[in-house]
Amino acid sequence: MKSDTTVAASPSSPPELWLGLEEYMDSPAFREAMTNEFPDDAGEWTDPVSRRNFLTIMGASLALAGAAGCSPRPAPMRKIVPYVRQPEQMVPGVPLFFASACPVAGYAAGVLVRSHEGRPVKVEGNPDHPSSLGGTGPLEQASVLDLYDPDRSQQPTRRGVGTGYEAVVHAIRERLYKQGTANKDAQVRILTGAVTSPTLAGQITALLNDFPNARWAQYEACGLDNARAGSLKAFGRELSVTYDFTKADVILSLDADFVGCGPGHARYCHDFATRRRVRQTIPANQEAEYTTPAKMSRLYVVECMPSQAGSVADHRLPILAGQVDEFTRALILKLNNLGLPALPMTGVLPEAAQKWIDPLAKDLLAHKGTSVVVAGDHQPAFVHVLAHAINVALGNIGKTVFVAAPIEARPLGKMIDLATLVKEMAEKKVETLLILGGTNPAYTASADIDFVGAIKNVPFRFHLGSHQDETAALCEWHVNEAHYLEAWGDIRGHVGTIAIQQPLIAPLYNGKSAIELIADITLSATRDGREMVRASCRKWFSETKQTGEFEIFWQETVRAGVVKGSEVKREEQVALVPKWATEGQPPLPARPSADEYEINFRPDPTLFDGRYANNGWLQELPKPVTKLSWDNAAFVSPTTALKLGAEKDFRWTAGERGRTEVSILNLTLKVAGKDVTVKAPVWILPGHPDGAVTVHLGHGRKRAGRVGNNASEPNPAGEAVRGFDAYALRTSTAPAFATGLKLTRTKDTYFLACLQANWVMTQKDPINGTILDRKPVRRGTIKEYQENPWFAKITPAAAGEADAISHNIPGPKSKGDKASGAAGGEGTSYGPAHEHEHEHDHKDEDHKDEHHEGHDNRLLPLTMYNPNDALYPDAKTKPRRWAMAIDLSACTGCNACVVACQSENNTPVVGKHEITRGHDMYWIRIDRYYEGTPDAPDATRTYFQPVPCQQCEKAPCEVVCPVGATAHSADGLNDMAYNRCVGTRYCSNNCPYKVRRFNFLTFQDWATASLKLGRNPDVSVRSRGVMEKCTYCVQRIRYGEIVAEREFRPIRDGEVKTACQTACPSGAIVFGDLEDANSLVGKWKGEPANYGLLAELNTMPRTSYLASLRNPNPEMPKGA
Amino acid sequence: MPQIFPKGVNSLTRFLVLALPMGFGGTGVGLAAFYRSSYATGIEEIVPQPVAFSHAHHVGQLGIHCLYCHTTVEDSHFANIPPTKTCMNCHQQMWTGADLLEPIRSSYQTGKPVVWNRVHNVPHYAYFNHSIHVAKGVGCKSCHGQIDEMNLTFQSKTLLMEWCIKCHRNPQEELRPKSEVFNMTWGPGKPIDGKPQVWKREDLPNWGKLPDGSDHALVGELVGKPRPTTQAELGAKLKDINGVRDAGTLTSCSMCHR
Repeated sequence: MKSDTTVAASPSSPPELWLGLEEYMDSPAFREAMTNEFPDDAGEWTDPVSRRNFLTIMGASLALAGAAGCSPRPAPMRKIVPYVRQPEQMVPGVPLFFASACPVAGYAAGVLVRSHEGRPVKVEGNPDHPSSLGGTGPLEQASVLDLYDPDRSQQPTRRGVGTGYEAVVHAIRERLYKQGTANKDAQVRILTGAVTSPTLAGQITALLNDFPNARWAQYEACGLDNARAGSLKAFGRELSVTYDFTKADVILSLDADFVGCGPGHARYCHDFATRRRVRQTIPANQEAEYTTPAKMSRLYVVECMPSQAGSVADHRLPILAGQVDEFTRALILKLNNLGLPALPMTGVLPEAAQKWIDPLAKDLLAHKGTSVVVAGDHQPAFVHVLAHAINVALGNIGKTVFVAAPIEARPLGKMIDLATLVKEMAEKKVETLLILGGTNPAYTASADIDFVGAIKNVPFRFHLGSHQDETAALCEWHVNEAHYLEAWGDIRGHVGTIAIQQPLIAPLYNGKSAIELIADITLSATRDGREMVRASCRKWFSETKQTGEFEIFWQETVRAGVVKGSEVKREEQVALVPKWATEGQPPLPARPSADEYEINFRPDPTLFDGRYANNGWLQELPKPVTKLSWDNAAFVSPTTALKLGAEKDFRWTAGERGRTEVSILNLTLKVAGKDVTVKAPVWILPGHPDGAVTVHLGHGRKRAGRVGNNASEPNPAGEAVRGFDAYALRTSTAPAFATGLKLTRTKDTYFLACLQANWVMTQKDPINGTILDRKPVRRGTIKEYQENPWFAKITPAAAGEADAISHNIPGPKSKGDKASGAAGGEGTSYGPAHEHEHEHDHKDEDHKDEHHEGHDNRLLPLTMYNPNDALYPDAKTKPRRWAMAIDLSACTGCNACVVACQSENNTPVVGKHEITRGHDMYWIRIDRYYEGTPDAPDATRTYFQPVPCQQCEKAPCEVVCPVGATAHSADGLNDMAYNRCVGTRYCSNNCPYKVRRFNFLTFQDWATASLKLGRNPDVSVRSRGVMEKCTYCVQRIRYGEIVAEREFRPIRDGEVKTACQTACPSGAIVFGDLEDANSLVGKWKGEPANYGLLAELNTMPRTSYLASLRNPNPEMPKGA
Repeated sequence: MPQIFPKGVNSLTRFLVLALPMGFGGTGVGLAAFYRSSYATGIEEIVPQPVAFSHAHHVGQLGIHCLYCHTTVEDSHFANIPPTKTCMNCHQQMWTGADLLEPIRSSYQTGKPVVWNRVHNVPHYAYFNHSIHVAKGVGCKSCHGQIDEMNLTFQSKTLLMEWCIKCHRNPQEELRPKSEVFNMTWGPGKPIDGKPQVWKREDLPNWGKLPDGSDHALVGELVGKPRPTTQAELGAKLKDINGVRDAGTLTSCSMCHR
């Protein structure tokens, strides 16, 4: 064995992988964060208000202590309230799952919702739904919190004063009908978000037919308008476009974040991941889920704002969003032997981009029919046309790219856009305006469309919505909308599959769904939500000539949540219209001038277009890639920041630990002839192209609610809103990006909460003080992997002991099969070069096996407290060994797991101020690492690493707990007994992974009644003074064990799934019992790319990682 | 130098040498005893209920099975308190005018549930599960006492953690054949209907059936044979048959706390 060689980065050379700029610069603040886990004042209540609160709270807690803590009597008498008539199938204490569909911008994400005694508590993906396949995004996960939002609109109102629902319906009917017959002259306008629901679309269409002058506007601020216009230009008709990434060898994304947002992104995540999860041995019957090294797909991303797709890409080209068009034209020029015409170009492409064209075109040409070109939804229609043209020319249509009839309901001749509607309203042509839920144009309308001014000209304004939002405030009449978990409905997914939404709970505030409201207005014969949805299902059933009994079909449909076979039929072939290349060409992008910038508008990754602004989970959730929480910012590249002079007061050397003091920029843009200025905090984002600024929409809402508006935490302009409103700069002609932005740095600064540096695993060498390079993310190219699949086993800190360290990582049960030992985890050697040692190891093992019956032959007690076999001779069955493996090649950093964990485990929202003090309570975090140098955006690579508790077998936290509050269970979980915890925080201090979270204050909202309904009754709601952390969802483990043992059978592999695992759309997490020789987790851990995070510390982590693999094109320019 | 303490202090000191430790010790013992006392644990304390329901009458005298009302005890962590409908199954026919049953009748008519007071107040951070205890052969009596003799229901065990742990360390002391779980009069070696106890098919996992439908090997070995007559022998055998996990597993913190 070689001696222990400590590889330490010298202070002059930055680390290979860095969490953020602070680590890259090795700032004193970062060093401080490394040494002290919590900021100095973490436990202090510094502001005077808190001190006053402290006295109140202390008074209250003393009283409580008297009442409960010190009382010698048993707990106060609790009540049991049984049913009067117990519903069939209801077993109190056993949750039920119901299939439904969560609407996101009009499109369905199929979900299964867990209900405890009639309360929806947790959202999971619906494996039967093609847009989900069991995975979800963070928005779906958090949708359950919207149901319990205390700021929901709770009654119908007229001019803000409560009124009866009947009165509202009567008022609308008075406008529309005269003695029961439709008033043909009525100038009715209906404004909705995107509508895909067959029932609602049928109702509105019928309404439009009754009123010849009526028109329908659908407005989505971040919708598919450009994609639709693109298909119209390319194919001559509106078509929906979907992709099959399982068949794609080469993927080119033109500013498209297909794994991060848009309809079907969870499905795309899944499909994409199946070609990225590289395995040496693919488990039986799982061929479709994994890929061999030779068949790994390759992703090229050309984009502006670093997105999730860009972060997992093999090659990422940061260019201005306005140059994507030019890039695609240049690519088409190289693809000329496909018969594509040459298009005019201005030559604005940067040099780096030009170097891309040749190898990229060659790669695409080599994969005709097995490649995909995806254009971003926000990119102009012409980029979509070009993408379609390439896909058609490469023969991808019908193979990897599918076109079908549009999903959204748009009756011919009846549709108008928002701009037309506003124009009509301004001209006083509109008499009645019905705004139905899901759209909030008073906030989301572009700055050049004066919706707020125009709507005042409409005599009758009605709004149906879940909140009294900006639009509701402009409407005389308002009805509170039912949440999707409260009402019947139907909605289509990205491929058109109809999903049935069924209510899990009676409307909390007697809200109405859009279909119920329209039925009531039109005095429809059936006004019951269920009957209406059933009727449209029956209509589909008979129209498509399905066989069988409808009632049976309906029952099965409601159970499964999807109408089987209802996806829109794909068209096998589609031809481009002849003049696609010449007609409708947009003006060529001008060369950006040196002092003007391009501004990019993107939907916020968590708040979307602003509709989730009052959802605490989503506000606090760190955005993927940027890791900002509670705010938006003007994202610029390091070079741009340098130019603006913003780098100095960015405080690379001061603010950290979630609290970053940054300059405020003035963003000035000409909007409708006037200069509009917005104050925005600057955020330096490695990988962002120079010369551009990206802002997220969805912030700065004035009427969001108690989460979205907080007077004590004003935005950069001093308003009591979260973040700044980027819609003020957005115009309808340039909804995605605009040029001519002027940036000036002000002298003011602003605090941003960033979660990236809150939990730093980096460590110093105790002797010479240099930062140790722990190689938390082991990564390699597929070529390196093919040459040495064991590359990830070589540990940085103790290279000579790689064998011994690998040996100590908990692995699958040894089957005694010596031949397959190399993949067997325990005793796994790390390469063919060590064949000899490897043999030797096995001899050792054989020797050990004789004494210890082949079980876990390391013979280390799990904890010093845990009684082992000698104390309990009755242990006849070996305890299970729960373990987790995370495939870093599949993780796209979407944060679905983080929200799922929060939802499952009753983790509180702490608020921005607490985040800035390092008090976030997430049990799983996603670390983002950069590779490269900050000043070269095109060479920056991003890696994501989800870090839950590693459940170390030799847990450093346990030995330092003075009260035994954290101890090992027999099956290897690092248990936390909250009631024992006295809050010393030693455990957290001693945790090398920094996964423990301390409840410094009473973060949990104990007071708000509606929030109590949404908590998981199987998990303790923790109060202050208690340490908590990931439990591997022990409540699910115990429930699974009980069910299995009640039936006297072993637990099936996959029967127990953690919340993060079920949520993950790309299937990057697997969990199971290592004692089960056939468990999937054992198979993952038997892979050569499996490694333990900081395993050289000998913590023996039960969670392990599969190295991140990329598949770069060797012909691409170096560094690209 | 004058003496600081007067002579009388000597005897006081001698007294204190003994009295102080005894005082502290006694206080400790006293506190420990108080902690376990019926006052502090609420043991054997009658809890007022809206209807004075008698288990002694319904179970002991009429012989109604536990599962008739506590329907979910084999399926859920919660044994279920019967819905009003269950009461009315019988009381629509008998005692239809009894004043005592007025709350039940009005609940049935108005649809408003009867609000019972919880007798067994397990702390909220302890996640007790009825179904697994019943499945592994812990009798109702082990925790609920001689409930068939209780006119008004009370808590008969301390419900302290030490009481739980005692059994989790030595589960064999409270195990009984599965067919006797609901039997309030069963005892090891105690004849049933005048006959010595024998193993029944129902005592075996999944009623003696293997997943493929064939008989468990234990069926031939045990069914019809006499059961061991001491709890020690019987418990050890049952622990084996029912696959009760080892004490190390059963006493893991996360078994009950999460």
